[in-house]
Amino acid sequence: MHANILKPLALVLVVTVLAAAGTGVHADAAEPPPAAPDFVLKATDGYNYRLSEYRGEVVALVFWASWCGACRRELERLSELRGIYGDAGLQVLAVAVDEDAQAAAAVARSTGAGYPVLHDAASNVSRAYALESLPMTLLIDRAGRVRSAHGELDAAGGRQLLGELRTLLDE
Amino acid sequence: MSIDNPGIATAMFAGRRRHRAVRPSTGRWRHWACAVLTVAGLVLAAVALAESTAPAQAQTPATFQGLDAEVQALKQEVVDLNRDLFMLEEELLFPANTQVAVFVSMDVGTFFALDSVKIVVDGKDVANYLYTQREAEALLRGGVHRAWLGNLKPGKHEMTAFFTGKGTHDRDYKRGATLTIDKGVGAKYVELRISDRASQLQPEFVVKEWE
Repeated sequence: MHANILKPLALVLVVTVLAAAGTGVHADAAEPPPAAPDFVLKATDGYNYRLSEYRGEVVALVFWASWCGACRRELERLSELRGIYGDAGLQVLAVAVDEDAQAAAAVARSTGAGYPVLHDAASNVSRAYALESLPMTLLIDRAGRVRSAHGELDAAGGRQLLGELRTLLDE
Repeated sequence: MSIDNPGIATAMFAGRRRHRAVRPSTGRWRHWACAVLTVAGLVLAAVALAESTAPAQAQTPATFQGLDAEVQALKQEVVDLNRDLFMLEEELLFPANTQVAVFVSMDVGTFFALDSVKIVVDGKDVANYLYTQREAEALLRGGVHRAWLGNLKPGKHEMTAFFTGKGTHDRDYKRGATLTIDKGVGAKYVELRISDRASQLQPEFVVKEWE
């Protein structure tokens, strides 16, 4: 019977001591998120857009291509999110890595994208962000720091993105 | 269980009594030890959590104000230091005897919507700047943008500026303006001014030197 009592108590003790130690370690080890490299690109609407002009707003930066099926779904998702959270400070910038800007513009129109569709003709921005797969969605906080990066999203990933987005909008 | 030998039975009971007499005291000790350790652990955890989360609750408003003033003073010091470092860096990287700076300004802009400016010095591209809507509007409100800061050795240099944008009737418009600058010992400042020539309904690009 005593052994039965001892075990849970010892467990509680170990857990509490670890929790106490863990709080201090976590606070010291936290590193600031990296700053998003600034860029300026021409959009399909003819205007130029600079990322740093969106300081103070949460930016969802998505890299995509017209030949990528998953990218279309991501554009639709972001279009929907912008409709819901646009007034709360969400901005969406879609960077097309296509060689043909017109093809990218046509696909973006078909997805109902109401946000700037930028054309990275020289691939400078893709290189600066070390683009590895398509689509790639980055969430950039109001201070211009990259807080999270997502590849192709399933339902669970979509929920995670939404949760992170809400957290950033609340900051 | 039957007990045939009372002596043995007495010894057994005595042993059980002895056993019982020892066990409860050891159990209590262990129980207390565990309780004390648990409480100690909980206190430790509470203290650690309090240190990480509660200092704000424990501070008085006066302490907060003092802290806020200190933070503001520190921020100001950082801003001043940053400015000094920036100026020092510019002086080191672009000494006055070789420094050349090119500025872009706009006046009115009825016949031209600026998109980009490219600067070529002695046949070499040195700057290519895309203007956003906000930046173009800032120029129209009287702002001046430093499009290039570089070093040139004393002597004559050919500078060409290409302006790209939309002209009248939303047509694509590209114009160049060339200037030969004579770089002396002091810093050289060049202004690229875009203005309207109302008589011809055309934009005008003026390159002007400042000493």
